[in-house]
Amino acid sequence: MAHELDIERMGGRPHWTPEDVIGNMSLKTLMFSNDYRHIALKGILTSLVMLALGGTFAIIFRTELALPDIQFLSARPYMSLMTLHGMFMVFGFVIPIVISICYYMMPKVLGTERLIWASGAQWSYWTLIAGAVLLIISRPDFTWTFYPPMSLRVGGGLIWMGYLAIVMVAISEFLAGAVLLKNALEAAKKGWKTMPLMGWAMAAEGVLLVGSTPMLGVVGAVMLTDWLEVTALFDPARGGSVMTFMFSFWFYGHPAVYLPLVPAIAILYTVLPWILGRPMWSYMSAVTAFILLTVLSFVVYPHHFQPAFSVSGWLQRTTQILTLLIFIPSTLHVFNWIATLWSDPIPASARRSVVFKFFISAIAFLIYGGVTAYLNAQISVDSNFIHNTYWIPAHFHAMFMGFVGQMAVAGIYYLYPYFTGRMYNQAMANTHFWLWQVGIFTKVTMMFALGYAYFPRWVVDYLDLPEWSSSQLVLTGGAYLIGLGFIVFVFNVAWSARSGQISPADPWPVEHEDAAASAVPAE
Amino acid sequence: MENALGLMGGQATMIAITVFVMILGLGALLAAVFWPKRWRMKYRMEVIFVGLLAAMVYYADWKSTEIYTAYQKDFRAEQAVSGQVVEKDDKAFDRTLTVVSFQWGFAFLTEDNEISRNAAVVKPNEKVLFNILSNDVIHGFNIPVAGITAEIDPGEPRQVWIRAPQKPGKYLIQCVNYCGVGHAQMKAWLVVEGEVPTAKMTVGEKSNGA
Repeated sequence: MAHELDIERMGGRPHWTPEDVIGNMSLKTLMFSNDYRHIALKGILTSLVMLALGGTFAIIFRTELALPDIQFLSARPYMSLMTLHGMFMVFGFVIPIVISICYYMMPKVLGTERLIWASGAQWSYWTLIAGAVLLIISRPDFTWTFYPPMSLRVGGGLIWMGYLAIVMVAISEFLAGAVLLKNALEAAKKGWKTMPLMGWAMAAEGVLLVGSTPMLGVVGAVMLTDWLEVTALFDPARGGSVMTFMFSFWFYGHPAVYLPLVPAIAILYTVLPWILGRPMWSYMSAVTAFILLTVLSFVVYPHHFQPAFSVSGWLQRTTQILTLLIFIPSTLHVFNWIATLWSDPIPASARRSVVFKFFISAIAFLIYGGVTAYLNAQISVDSNFIHNTYWIPAHFHAMFMGFVGQMAVAGIYYLYPYFTGRMYNQAMANTHFWLWQVGIFTKVTMMFALGYAYFPRWVVDYLDLPEWSSSQLVLTGGAYLIGLGFIVFVFNVAWSARSGQISPADPWPVEHEDAAASAVPAE
Repeated sequence: MENALGLMGGQATMIAITVFVMILGLGALLAAVFWPKRWRMKYRMEVIFVGLLAAMVYYADWKSTEIYTAYQKDFRAEQAVSGQVVEKDDKAFDRTLTVVSFQWGFAFLTEDNEISRNAAVVKPNEKVLFNILSNDVIHGFNIPVAGITAEIDPGEPRQVWIRAPQKPGKYLIQCVNYCGVGHAQMKAWLVVEGEVPTAKMTVGEKSNGA
């Protein structure tokens, strides 16, 4: 269903040229240059370091969880690792990596040719780094949602740094949101109707960030003053209320889960038309979905604490309906992707590339994790086996790792020739792909099984029940496979930067004939 | 055994719908990628599909609310009799236990002021009301065999009721909200007394209406 504006809406063809951006920069350029490519690369590389750290934490506590009883990790270090895993993955990996990839794509796709207000992105980056350092020093052990009054009573003398880190994360994300919003608005001056979907996504992401992060900053600051015993807003023992915390924190917390999702969707909308050589099936459907998702994301947050006493009556019912409605924008996106894939033959060049494979499996994981949320939204089912059992981690690991994580690596593989001048090794990329598919599927499925068997979240030790211990063991195996896949990925990216094939002028030609054996990427 | 939320019928339907939609989505994705036949969908297809989803949303909301409202009606029955002198047989619940959730454990207080740490002793098939409170941090209260979860906020006592299992035995009661380093140990047992007490511990069968 072609539209006359469709070619413009695709952002044209990618107009980068393969060059060794990484090889030609000094450490100083990487650190402080305001060139959009350097800022983006810095963000991508740092997010991969965060993924490595967060992943290592996970491998350590997963090993402990493989068998019932406590083997080598006691409760406190376990919870520190668990908390740092959550915070590093959410604040350090899934959100910044897709935003960084968008920093790289945006200027060319939107036609602004540079990142407008790049110094904002620079400040956003360094604030996040400062926050991460404070977080590691403070070693919090109160989970990434730090529910008071528990979180005010645990942690050592340095825990104030953790609260400060939360404020810094908020500032960092707010700045990133302002940058994205400004760029999107600049691009929209040429007309909203012709703006590539990347622009719409960045506008949505900007609104999400700018609208939600101030609340996180306030929560972090009040946690600090509550801890210093200057205020007592969140501590019921001193006249405060935990509900004040819940409503404030999750006002950020729900939009926060779409912060990684929206840019990941933007990468798909940008790159899929390029490798298929044709526009998306429906532009307006995607725009509608972005707007609906943004609006709904601000009003569904009470479902995170739905079984609390204060969420009842009309509030509970409204939350249930609004949460169920999230189904509609998400499905508009998925429907659009499937219709695009189905409409015309898929070029042989796309089928050969690992980027396309990651796209397809990411969509599959979005369906897997997304459809099961039909149950999460219902109060009656949620109050049975879903709330705070492993069902919830299963849901968000399918989304964050299965969809966002895989979209991020697809984006990196796609951009790879443009910032190294070389192609990655295809065989290693395929190995990475399959290790991740088996690993992530095993992990998510075992988590769903454990959730269905009422396995509670955040436990270091558990009863030796067959339905619990066997799933935990297999789940740990899945985590190892993901770790192995990541090592292959890092090795590939590092090795190919020096020794990979030199990329042709157009690394991603659209070819319908399989006979073009010389084409890169080749198996 | 009657589930506290009486979920099995509604829940099984919802799981069936979920699996069906998942197969539909994954099947369409696979067909779009691997099936040689190409299909240029009309825009109206999407409108029809969204209509279908809206119906699913409506059904889920209706069914879930119906189940949850039915569960809560029993509380209102209890409130109606509270404050009045009633015969024991007339009460909506066979047994009332006060539960103190604390870092890290549950204490159960009977109507006769007998206290038991980490064991709620009930008779088979009894309808049991738990008055739950927390004085320290946020806890969770989950009885897998009864299929019920509640979040217990400090300073906000609340009620949960269950129908005890028919089969005597020990059934798990656990905290599902992270409440500090002892969280993993915060467990208790629903002990169903019977003629032939079994020592076998169990997380409980999936609740069903059978």
